[in-house]
Amino acid sequence: MDRSSSFFKLIDTFASEICDLKKEMVQTSSTTDKNPKELQGLESEVSGVYLMPPNCCRVMGERDSGYDSLRRRMSVLDRLSQTHPVWLLLAVSETEASRILFKQPPGVFLVRKSATLQRKVLSVRLKEDQSRSPICHFPVKESQYTFSLEGSEIGFADLFRLVAFYCISRDILPFALKLPEAIASAKTKKELEEVAQLGAGSLNYYFTGWSPQRTNRYREVEESQQRYPGAQCDSAPPTLKPHTPPPSFHQDRRHSSGPLCFVNPLFLQTHQHNHSCEASPSHAVKSDNNLENAGKLSVKLLSDLDDIKQHTDSLKLNNKSKPPRPPPPRSMPRRRPAPPPPGPSGTTIRPKSMPEAAAVTASQHQPPSRRPAPARPPVAVSQSSSVPVPSNPPPPRPKKPDLEAHRCHIALDDETIAKALSRAKLPPCQPPPAVPTDVLLDNNAGSPPNPNEGGCQRLSDMSMSTSSSDSLEYSSPEFSLGLDPMEDSSEEDEDRDEDEDEDYGVSLETDLEMRLRPSFKAQRRRVGVRLGRGPFILPRALKGRFSKVGGMLSSLMTPERRAVKRIAELSRDKSSYFGSLVQDYNNFVQENRGCHTSGMDFLQTLRQFMTQMKAYLRQSSELDPPLESLIPEDHIDQVLEKAMHKCVLKPLKSVIEAVLHDFQVSSGAWQQLRENLALAKTKRPKELGVDGAVPPDPMAIEKIRHKFLKMRKMYSPEKKVSLLLRVCKLIYTIMQNNSGRMYGADDFLPMLTYVVAQCDMPQLETEIQYMMELLDPSLLQGEGGYYLTSAYGAMALIKNFQEEQAARVLSSEARNTLHQWHRRRTNQRSVPSVDDFQNYLRVALKEVDMGCTAKTLVVHPYTTTEEVCSLCAYKFKISDPENYALFLVTADTSQQLAPDTHPQRIKAELHSRPCAQLFHFVYRRVPNLNLCIPAIMQNGNCLQVE
Amino acid sequence: MAIRELKVCLLGDTGVGKSSIVCRFVQDHFDHNISPTIGASFLTKTVPCGNELHKFLIWDTAGQERFHSLAPMYYRGSAAAVIVYDITKLDSFQTLKKWVKELKEHGPEDIVVAIAGNKNDLGDIREVPMKEAKEFAESIAAIFIETSARNAVNVEELFQKISKQIPPLEKSEVDSNESFKLTRQPAPTTRRCC
Repeated sequence: MDRSSSFFKLIDTFASEICDLKKEMVQTSSTTDKNPKELQGLESEVSGVYLMPPNCCRVMGERDSGYDSLRRRMSVLDRLSQTHPVWLLLAVSETEASRILFKQPPGVFLVRKSATLQRKVLSVRLKEDQSRSPICHFPVKESQYTFSLEGSEIGFADLFRLVAFYCISRDILPFALKLPEAIASAKTKKELEEVAQLGAGSLNYYFTGWSPQRTNRYREVEESQQRYPGAQCDSAPPTLKPHTPPPSFHQDRRHSSGPLCFVNPLFLQTHQHNHSCEASPSHAVKSDNNLENAGKLSVKLLSDLDDIKQHTDSLKLNNKSKPPRPPPPRSMPRRRPAPPPPGPSGTTIRPKSMPEAAAVTASQHQPPSRRPAPARPPVAVSQSSSVPVPSNPPPPRPKKPDLEAHRCHIALDDETIAKALSRAKLPPCQPPPAVPTDVLLDNNAGSPPNPNEGGCQRLSDMSMSTSSSDSLEYSSPEFSLGLDPMEDSSEEDEDRDEDEDEDYGVSLETDLEMRLRPSFKAQRRRVGVRLGRGPFILPRALKGRFSKVGGMLSSLMTPERRAVKRIAELSRDKSSYFGSLVQDYNNFVQENRGCHTSGMDFLQTLRQFMTQMKAYLRQSSELDPPLESLIPEDHIDQVLEKAMHKCVLKPLKSVIEAVLHDFQVSSGAWQQLRENLALAKTKRPKELGVDGAVPPDPMAIEKIRHKFLKMRKMYSPEKKVSLLLRVCKLIYTIMQNNSGRMYGADDFLPMLTYVVAQCDMPQLETEIQYMMELLDPSLLQGEGGYYLTSAYGAMALIKNFQEEQAARVLSSEARNTLHQWHRRRTNQRSVPSVDDFQNYLRVALKEVDMGCTAKTLVVHPYTTTEEVCSLCAYKFKISDPENYALFLVTADTSQQLAPDTHPQRIKAELHSRPCAQLFHFVYRRVPNLNLCIPAIMQNGNCLQVE
Repeated sequence: MAIRELKVCLLGDTGVGKSSIVCRFVQDHFDHNISPTIGASFLTKTVPCGNELHKFLIWDTAGQERFHSLAPMYYRGSAAAVIVYDITKLDSFQTLKKWVKELKEHGPEDIVVAIAGNKNDLGDIREVPMKEAKEFAESIAAIFIETSARNAVNVEELFQKISKQIPPLEKSEVDSNESFKLTRQPAPTTRRCC
């Protein structure tokens, strides 16, 4: 709950920052004329976007790595997300990180996960300085929605954006990060890919001078770096402690508690475009329209964020899908192919010969067509890197759809959007800004822009480019407008629509999306207004596109949404291991409906499958980049849960319903329920225990019925539960009848029973069953779980209404079911935990006066109890281990394990039992009199009382 | 500070003021940052305890006899149970004893039991002597307190006492995670010299 409110705060701050940004840009534009032209744009935009006080970006060289990459027309973010295997080394230890970085120049970094801190850490190579360690580690703080460096107040939607930002601005670092040479100098996506293939190994190349291609352009940049010799020398005051933020930056922050805003480093791309156009006649126009630009840029800022990401993501998926991947073992370590063996000298690893080494590994992962070819098509190079040659005719396109070319294309698309937008705003008589024509030509692929069409033409460019993540499979973008498969967006709309209903202020803790919705709408509307204000009229056909842009804006707010989408895409890709598992399972369920003994049994296998797949996704290397880099860790489970609903429950929904109904009918429960419902419906509220509160009238009952029917249409148990909560909220509202009285369960449960009886919907029973068995176990204790329990209880009372009338008590059978359900579901909570995996054993230390401490130990199947005991003594720091022993504790028993038994075997045996029992391994003192006494005492006293 | 969610189950006869106690507890310090729950049957409140935050998820139960059979669903997995009786109604104290017995037999093993004698403001029509109730509570090692939801007496204290009885999570659990790392292995170590 506080999670969402803090998120709202963030959004608010974000909105206000955009306003500030506008102002700042106006201000700076008035002063910029004094500065050298090259600095001007960068200075104003960087300080505007990054909210840096001017003195922080004084030294040009601090941003050099980001600055060079500008020239190469690939954003830092692009580079980083392409090459995460190089620097995102979560499993690397501190020593190993230091070893890798030690050989690197200052500023080179990697991100790992610290075992001691249990957090991600940014390890940076500092300058040589005898007094301090040359490597410094900056912990990464993960809040619900942002990643930020400890001590900094700037938050980012994911790790890539964080690192990209620190490549450009130092903020709390002693100086800005430096991209590894291989990444910084790569000029095409393909080169980046090659670097990525090498993984961490390419770090070893930093200093060997290897880079995929060293060209004139590269030297140029090098020279330009040398022109600013301050680059890495005088930027970092050595006394600056990494955790002390620069005072000037933090003094007057109003929100000091959390990260301030999302920052989009991609913004620099726009600058870069402006920069490249500076010599052109349109420059004057640009500065005149500065304020307008700021507004547009803020739009762009939003769309960029996820747009690019989506492009690259979908591309990655597309690429990944090609090589059928052999099923990796469950705990297969995530490993990139090993770097090529050391070459005789630096020169032999140059592009032409490098494929020999890299291609061996690459060929296993890439189709032959994408193998790094020595003679690469010139188009890719020119698109990705050759900005300032607008006079060159665009190189001929390859006939077949060249994925590579599309890829590079994408980096440009967003600029095209901005250009199209800015051009659309120009008065019609003005000459269009000197956009590098090859960009537009390439985008239009054969349909050169018709000057007469003016803004509209640009606009269509724009809409096309925003949807290019979908249209990539099409070789020619002009078709994409018509043929563009809207599947994904319509799917999302469907999901969204499910939630759009009158809101009773209901809030299910996890269902944040619902509450974010109003802000999505607002956002979309705002954008619509902005675009609509222009001097042209939107062609009707394009409106859908804009709503799509809006959709992207909304996914800016929920990075998890993108992650869910990606997992869903992976699940449809049969050539991935995950995809094939999910597809096979779905097919199996559809074809083998009859192989279950009961509806509950069926739902349990489904739940188990989803839980297993979640565990698989957490460990597999198939998600690229890894989820940890996109989603804060305490959020990952929810994302996986949502994704599993989409991958499994959505396609199987109708089958599940049919199976459940069949069981209901064949067991006779349907008939019994119908009869009892009919009977209960005739009862007045008072007869069902309602006392005093106002019951809903028939109109309200009809409304509730409608909600229940709506609930049936959803596949996600969470969303069903959130509708159930709305029903409950409505009942409360009616009960209170403006009296302001708070009704507890004494009044609510009878009323709920009355309402359920009045609704007369026997289908509701399977609905409740569906939710109870499939809801994420972690939600069972919350509000959703509470009202679900109440609904189940109400249903159970009605189902046994006749018996209850007779005996005034639930049948013992129904009661047993309730017991079992809870026991089973509480068991399931522990299913995905790590100790269930092989070779891990969770042992609790029970001390007389201190409660329990548990540790997960590495215990092999053949490890004896004796060995486990000595391990425990060591781990728990027990001084008198001879007095301790290992016990197997279940609900009602506790037995000491003999020294020569094998705890792992015992665990496996217990796990394989048909009726799962809760059990623990407890390491405790042998004469455990103290432990038993309270229980005996209590029981004894209980008896006395009676 | 780590937030720990603690499920707390409210048991007791109908009309003894179960929900009044919780409403008082939750409402006294109304925090507008926490979005309210939809109704008073399920309420939450977070209180600091040591270095932890305890978020109480309070499950109210219907006290009528006919709903008695549903109680196991409500108290399963509870860290604590608050059994409420009305000091002006002897019957409600008998019901309380039944609940204690049921919890001992079917409830979670390590559940913290708290006994609350409500309507302490109506001392002149008291039917249950405080001494008797207190002795009973001691005999089963339960927390005992008399409260008045109406006058907001001892409500806060009741939950503070519960908080104190919840064993703290051990810090050392964290380092056990070290062995969890199945996902990513260290980068291939290449012994290269340049």
